[in-house]
Order: sequence, then structure tokens, then C-alpha cells
Amino acid sequence: MSKVIDVRNLTLTVPTSKGRAPVIENLSFAIEQGEKLGLVGESGSGKSLTAYSLMRLIKEPVRIESGELFINGVDVMKLSESEFRKYRGSEIAMIYQDPMSALNPIMKIGDQIVESILLHKKISRKEALKLAVGLLESVGIPEPEERVNSYPFEMSGGMLQRVVIAIALSGEPKVLIADEATTALDVTTQERVLTLLNRLAEERNLSVLLITHDLGVAAQFSDRINVMYGGRLVEQGRTKEVFTAPQHPYTRALLDSRCDYTVDVNKPIKSIAGQPPRPDNRPTGCVFAPRCEHAIGACSDTVPELRNVIGREVACIRIDELKSVSS
Amino acid sequence: MGLCLLCPWIAPYDPYEIGASDAFLGPSKANWMGTDDLGRDLLSRILYGGRITILVAIAATIIALVIGTAWGLAAGVRRGWLDEVLMRTADATMAIPQILFGLVCISAVGASVISLPIVVGVLLAPTTARMARSAVVTELSSQYVVAAQASGFTRTRLIWSEVMPNIAPQLLVQLSINAAAAVMLEATLSFIGLGIQPPNASWGTLMLQGYAKIWNTYWFVTFPALAVTITILAFNAYGERIRKNLDSRKSTVNE
Repeated sequence: MSKVIDVRNLTLTVPTSKGRAPVIENLSFAIEQGEKLGLVGESGSGKSLTAYSLMRLIKEPVRIESGELFINGVDVMKLSESEFRKYRGSEIAMIYQDPMSALNPIMKIGDQIVESILLHKKISRKEALKLAVGLLESVGIPEPEERVNSYPFEMSGGMLQRVVIAIALSGEPKVLIADEATTALDVTTQERVLTLLNRLAEERNLSVLLITHDLGVAAQFSDRINVMYGGRLVEQGRTKEVFTAPQHPYTRALLDSRCDYTVDVNKPIKSIAGQPPRPDNRPTGCVFAPRCEHAIGACSDTVPELRNVIGREVACIRIDELKSVSS
Repeated sequence: MGLCLLCPWIAPYDPYEIGASDAFLGPSKANWMGTDDLGRDLLSRILYGGRITILVAIAATIIALVIGTAWGLAAGVRRGWLDEVLMRTADATMAIPQILFGLVCISAVGASVISLPIVVGVLLAPTTARMARSAVVTELSSQYVVAAQASGFTRTRLIWSEVMPNIAPQLLVQLSINAAAAVMLEATLSFIGLGIQPPNASWGTLMLQGYAKIWNTYWFVTFPALAVTITILAFNAYGERIRKNLDSRKSTVNE
């Protein structure tokens, strides 16, 4: 399998009172062709920034400080804005948390899909409209011939998310980034949209980067999981393995603080004490150390590297000792 | 307002016809609003004057809209230093009283039916620019603009197909506010003698002529002033209507 996306040492900074501070630090990961990768982490861990970096849509005050981004082997960070524009939509496309606000409110959805198709293909408007109807059909919208004349406010959230997906697919991208794409939808719609994404990924051999804070969604959907904390990758591995035997203390704490109907309502839900680090007050060494129950003095001295532990990557200096604790 | 445009057909008398014997007649059945210092029918003169006033106002409003929108768009889209320069220029222009600024400009270029709308238009442009800029900035940060950008839209396309249609209603409101302001400015400038020159008359000119004789011939100043007031109120009411419709539409969109 080939890597469609390969991010190396990506660092993003924001200005603080003490100068520019990192919000994403030395992030490296890759997505294989046809792979479904889940990116999980709590709010402010840098998930969405990672997504926008892949589209090169980072805006001031956030800045890409360093790093390489290979799309199909080409380092696109070196390309000019107009050269990179060809990649948007045709190599990587994105779908968003709130489909309502991701669509132009005063334009018929058909026209919006047509606009997007015409950006990538030199065909007539009529042919594009035919393609648009086809796209709507493939994302499971009933009566697509009539629906192209609807305005966004005439449709439900789940339907709109399908429209957003149709627009994302209009440039026939190889990678689809779903930034909290199911978060704003209710559970049954969420399920349907995930099923749809799954089917599309298989039909089109699409790679999907699913960004979510919902561990259940990530577990159900993705082949591999990347866990982010404080702008760094702390653990990555196959979904099943990460969920059944989490290695990094953060992943473990995250999984422990889950709650669903199996949890005893009389017991307090476990939580991770403290707050994620603020960019102007990042701990030295391991970013999770201040909240980690296993932290020792050495944790604050060195930044832990991702190391290969039993077939996956974990960034924790105490991993060898903790591995035995958990098993 | 519509009446003013039809005036050549409905005006009871020729506005330039001088009847020396009939000067300063009060309102009567023959001359509904009386006659002026040269015995010309005031109703006819107001109708004809209105035509000039409203044409000037419309021309000025269009000029203000074009300059203002381009100004605000440039500032809102490019941001950075250009934004600062353009917006501080707008602030500086707005800091000078409009009448004073208009006075200087008109004195410099001379008063005519051509220069008046241009000057009034330029005077109204900074407020329009501010409004356009803030609308553009809000629009550009909205999710669907980012989404369009992510699907590979160029900046020009982004502005024409995403930003402009969405700020159009706001511009429309500004348009009617500007129209009211333009009527006011035109009347004011004409009133101080820097607007439309006799024998042509705008409402401001009529008011100027009537003002001098306010104690003897109240109707001479009252009727043109009323015309100005009604027109401004009409423009404002129209703007208010658009704004209200806009609000109700926004709320259905957000449902």
C-alpha cells in the first residue's frame, strides 16, 4: 500500500504573551491508500488544526512553523498557493461538523455541487448538473432530480451532511477529511452517515481521516487510531488493539472516562483531573505529565518520542514499566 | 416620488413661466401651493425640483455604493496593512463634517448637476465602505466560505459566488439609508447656494429662495421642506422594511 498523505514534523504556533508557542509539535503520521484513520483527542488537542493544515487552510494568528506534507509523494508545503489550489477538492476534500453552515445559504444545492464540479472538470453546466444528480443519488438522497432545486434551509441536518459529502466527492479526491462530521447529528443519523462514508470509502478506494472526540464513532469506523494530546501524538495503532489494550496513560484514562448505558449511574464517572495545557503554559517534557497518575520526575525532563511497543507507537518514557502494570 | 418623474405631464404650469403680476400668491385653487417671487407655480416647481433632487440622490447613491463596496471589499479581503490604510482613511474622512467637506469640494469643482452627485456620492462612500468591510469579514470567516475555499475556489470566484450574494441584502439596506442621506445633503448644499443653480431648481434651491421671505410667504419655504421630509422618511421606511424582511429570512435560515 502507498502513503497518500505523509505528514512529517508538523509544527504550528500561535502568538502568546511570551512569544510564539506551539499548538502542534512535531506531528508525524501517514495515511495509506484506502485506509480509514481515526484521529481522537479532547478539545484543544489540535485535531482540527491538523485537518486544516492538510488543506493548507491555516489562517493567522496560527502559523505553520515547519514540517513537510507529502501528498502522493509531492511535498505540497513547498508549492505556491495557486499551485496548491489544484490539490484542494481533487486530492483532498473535507466535510465539516455543521453541514448547515458549510453550505451557502442562498444558493440551490444543485448549483453548489455544479460549481464545485466545474472547478475540477471542463464540461458544460448541463453535464455537470447530470453528474450532480448522480452524486446526490450515490450519497443516498431520495429524488435527487428535484432536490437539486432545494435551498439548504429546506433540508434536514442529515440530508445536508450528505450534500456536503456529495460536494466533497465532486472533485474525485483520494482523501476525505471528516472533521467532527457526525458530531452535530443525532445518533441514528450519525450511524447512517458513517455507514455511507464506509461504503463510499470502499467503492472509491478513498482514504478517510475521521476526526472526532467520540471514541465510539472512532472505534466503529476506523482501521487505525491516532490519539492526540496537547498537539502531540501520544499513541497510534490498530483500532482494535488500542481499544482493548491501551498503552499510553492518556489513552487509558480517556477510555476509562467513557460512559455509556453499561456504566453504573450511581458511581461517579471517572475523569482526568486538570485541564489540557494552554499554549502559553506548556509543560516541559511530556505534555501529559501534569495530569498523569503515573508521572515521575523524569517525565518533565525529556519529550518522549514515539516508540514501537508491541506493534504500535507510544510516546511515554515509562511505557516498559507500565506495560507490566496493565497486564 | 413617482409624481416627480411624471412632472412634465402632470405639472399644472410651466415651471419657468414668469407671471410678474402673480408673484407671492398664497395657496389657491389655481395654484395649489401658491406662487414664488417671480409668479411661477410652486407645485410645478416642486415637482420639477424633485426630479432633479431625486436624480442627484440616485446618482450619488449609486456612486457611493460602487466606491464604498469596492473600498470595503478591498479592505475586507486583503486585510493586513491595506485594510488599515483604507479603514483609517475612511475614519479620517468621516471625522470631517460632511457639509464642510462638501462645501470645499463644490467650491473647488464648481456646482453643477454633474459635480453634485459625484461629491455627495464620495461623501457617503466611507460609511458604505465600513459597512461593506464588516459584512465581507463576517462572510469570509463563515464556514461555507472556508468550505468553498477547501474545494478549490479561487479568491475571485469566492468573492463573486459566495461573498457578494450574501452581503447584497445588507448593501440594499445601506442603499436606502444612503438615498435618504443624499436627498438631505443635496438639499443642504443647494440651500446654502452650492447646489443646483437657478433657473433650475431643486428642493434645496427652492427652500433657499423661500427662506428669505419666510415671514411674508410661509408656503414658499414650507412646501419644498415638506417634500424633502416626506422623501427622506420614505427612503428610511423602505430601508427599515428591507431590514425587517432580511431579519425574518435570516431566522428561517437558522432554524
